[in-house]
Amino acid sequence: MGRPIDVKPLPSGTNRRSFLKGSLPAAMAAASAPMLLSVGSMARATGEAFQHGVASGDPLADRVILWTRVTPPVAKAAVNVAYAVATDPGMQTVVLRGNTKTNTNRDLTVKVDVLGLQPATTYYYRFTAEGSTSPVGRTRTLPLGSVASLRMAVVSCSNHAHGYFNAYRRVAERADLDLVVHLGDYLYEYGPNQYGSLRTPEPPNEMVTLSDYRKRHAQYKRDADLQEVHRQHPMVAIWDDHEITNDAWMNGAQNHTEGAEGTWSQRVNMGLQAYYEWMPIRVPNAAQKRNNQRAFQFGDLADLVMLEQRLSARSKQLPATIPTPFGAGFVQFGEFADPSRTLLGAEQEAWLATRLRTSTARWKLIGQGVMFAQIKLQGAPLAQGGGVFANSDQWDGYQPARDRIYNVLKGGGNQPRVDNCVVLTGDIHSSWAADLSQDPNNPDPSTGGYDPQSGTGSHAVEFVGTSVTSPGLPDPNGSTAALLRSINPHFKFIELTQRGYMLLDATPQRVVCEWWHVDTVESISNGQSFAAAFEVRDGSNMLLESVQTPERSNPPALAP
Amino acid sequence: MQQHSLSRALLGATLVLATAGAQAADFQFTGDLVNNTDRIHITFNLASASDVGLWTDSWNSGQNFDPVSALWVKSGSDYALLLEVDDDGSVAPGQGDFDTGMSFTGLAAGQYLYTVGPTFLEPFASGQLLSQGFTQDGTAPMAITLWNQPGYDINNNDQKGTFYRIQLSGVDSAAVTVVPEPGSVAMMLAGLGLVGAALRRRRRLSGGGPGGPGPAADRAS
Repeated sequence: MGRPIDVKPLPSGTNRRSFLKGSLPAAMAAASAPMLLSVGSMARATGEAFQHGVASGDPLADRVILWTRVTPPVAKAAVNVAYAVATDPGMQTVVLRGNTKTNTNRDLTVKVDVLGLQPATTYYYRFTAEGSTSPVGRTRTLPLGSVASLRMAVVSCSNHAHGYFNAYRRVAERADLDLVVHLGDYLYEYGPNQYGSLRTPEPPNEMVTLSDYRKRHAQYKRDADLQEVHRQHPMVAIWDDHEITNDAWMNGAQNHTEGAEGTWSQRVNMGLQAYYEWMPIRVPNAAQKRNNQRAFQFGDLADLVMLEQRLSARSKQLPATIPTPFGAGFVQFGEFADPSRTLLGAEQEAWLATRLRTSTARWKLIGQGVMFAQIKLQGAPLAQGGGVFANSDQWDGYQPARDRIYNVLKGGGNQPRVDNCVVLTGDIHSSWAADLSQDPNNPDPSTGGYDPQSGTGSHAVEFVGTSVTSPGLPDPNGSTAALLRSINPHFKFIELTQRGYMLLDATPQRVVCEWWHVDTVESISNGQSFAAAFEVRDGSNMLLESVQTPERSNPPALAP
Repeated sequence: MQQHSLSRALLGATLVLATAGAQAADFQFTGDLVNNTDRIHITFNLASASDVGLWTDSWNSGQNFDPVSALWVKSGSDYALLLEVDDDGSVAPGQGDFDTGMSFTGLAAGQYLYTVGPTFLEPFASGQLLSQGFTQDGTAPMAITLWNQPGYDINNNDQKGTFYRIQLSGVDSAAVTVVPEPGSVAMMLAGLGLVGAALRRRRRLSGGGPGGPGPAADRAS
């Protein structure tokens, strides 16, 4: 059941907080003052009450979340908001009007799930409240049935303090996208100069309280480039760790001090409250807000599965203690080999397995936070221990859990294998393309290994997108990338220094991923460059070098 | 110190009492609605001009539905609309942002009707007279427990509660009726229509004399 879609238009020019009709007898002239004071016939500047922009997200074939936040000119506890949805950027052909409300208990954020829309259709929308009108936003519903093409941008790791969101602006300018996917670290928790010093965080301290989290979200939502990417495209977002705090797991985080910063569960609850208030996403489970995994279907072309990898079930990260020439690493022994350790939890693992096995779409896109492919500092086949791994916060630190995902891909028992999986990843502020193999340093596919020349033995592919602003590694002549590739033959592309985004273009024949890099984040700039493209073809489960895809002709007009 | 604390406590208690006295409800009506098109109708009389307060305090931060209310004054055989208010949580303590309420100084003597329902379409009343009905009349009823009300918090799936509490202060007498949704009324009327048709048919059958009803009677039914 949903909200009524046949909602009458608002009477224009009046504030609806107290609706006054008919003539009042003289005896009522002294009726309670608030009812009369705020009847606002005076026109206000466009957008005055909408300082945090508009956004849309989690589109389905018949509905989409519309979001805004109201800043009343005079402080108010509760506000009525009207919205309209049209099929043209001039808002002339309105197909739906509605009204909603917000109050200070939800930080005056507005979120509606607009029902009754047509599939594969671009819509324009705007809000009115407190006598002002919001900017016009643009969004698009998902298609049904036979679908020839999907084109979307993939972003992650957007730290306001580290610079300007030029990558968001470049994505906003692309009129031919169906969707923008944000893989997490949408905002960062740190105080001034703790992680980035180009812009000063609000509030000027690490975000710990509900008020802190809300103020930080509000600061991000006032950024013009962030507003523009939200205004032009629907977004599907998941959190990674920094939406709460660094290296979060189910019962704590590296950057959380129990007691001094409250209890972990309190902090998560406050961070998630602000997140759900300020992000244009649907709540999959209001009773279990940490369980944020959800799925989107692009007709018969692609299923997009978005995973939750931090708060619902993740086991604590184990320390890397083995010295190597490139820093401390770890090996797959002891606690690292404990199959009870998990990234997704049993419930979400089962959900993912079912979705992958039962999907009838050509492509299964898995949007998630941390890298699935191995990053080793010393390579070795599994039969010789597997080598030394670099980052215990990614799937490498949860190898038995990763093996369970491989078992789903490979099939066996009574289960069919799952082909055409494409893993989309953020988190590590650099650009990578990987064939996915359980034993990439074993060159013999017949024993479960992987042949880097032919790609044989790869079960799926992974595209890792760089950050919007957060810093990568200094690697001026590419020597570090080259070294990593020599140890890790499953990587076909590694670039460690640049900021930007990924452009994903899917057809029934192939999925192409393009890496686009911006020229700087230290100033507002229009420069961007194509860095690389790799593709996976239907049924192959392995990467091939590719070329830039053409833009769609005659895309729907951007919102004015 | 003890004495001081005691006097402070007494002072606090006095203030609370005074506040409660100013807002004391003469009448309180509670219950549960079923559908989003249901309404509560409360009639009350004023023998002389009075200071009157009418409000809900059941919204409870979204535990229950977001109410809207309208006040009507008896006008001949109908009621005329005086005022419609969606949200006003400032009438009495215990109200929330999306509760409804109104207060009047020197409301004239007369017979009044206070109507309260879940906020759905706006405005609430279709016109200036009660006989013109309400804007949600004719829409398909939805259970409040399943309904995403316009003012609900999507992050919390709230406002699914059906409980209402309506308070009236400064009135002499009051009586309540809960109006079922128009859909049910229509169904009841349709049911009556069937009964009526059956009755007519029976009458025709009994009055048709030997040979039974003619073709014309069949067509007429």
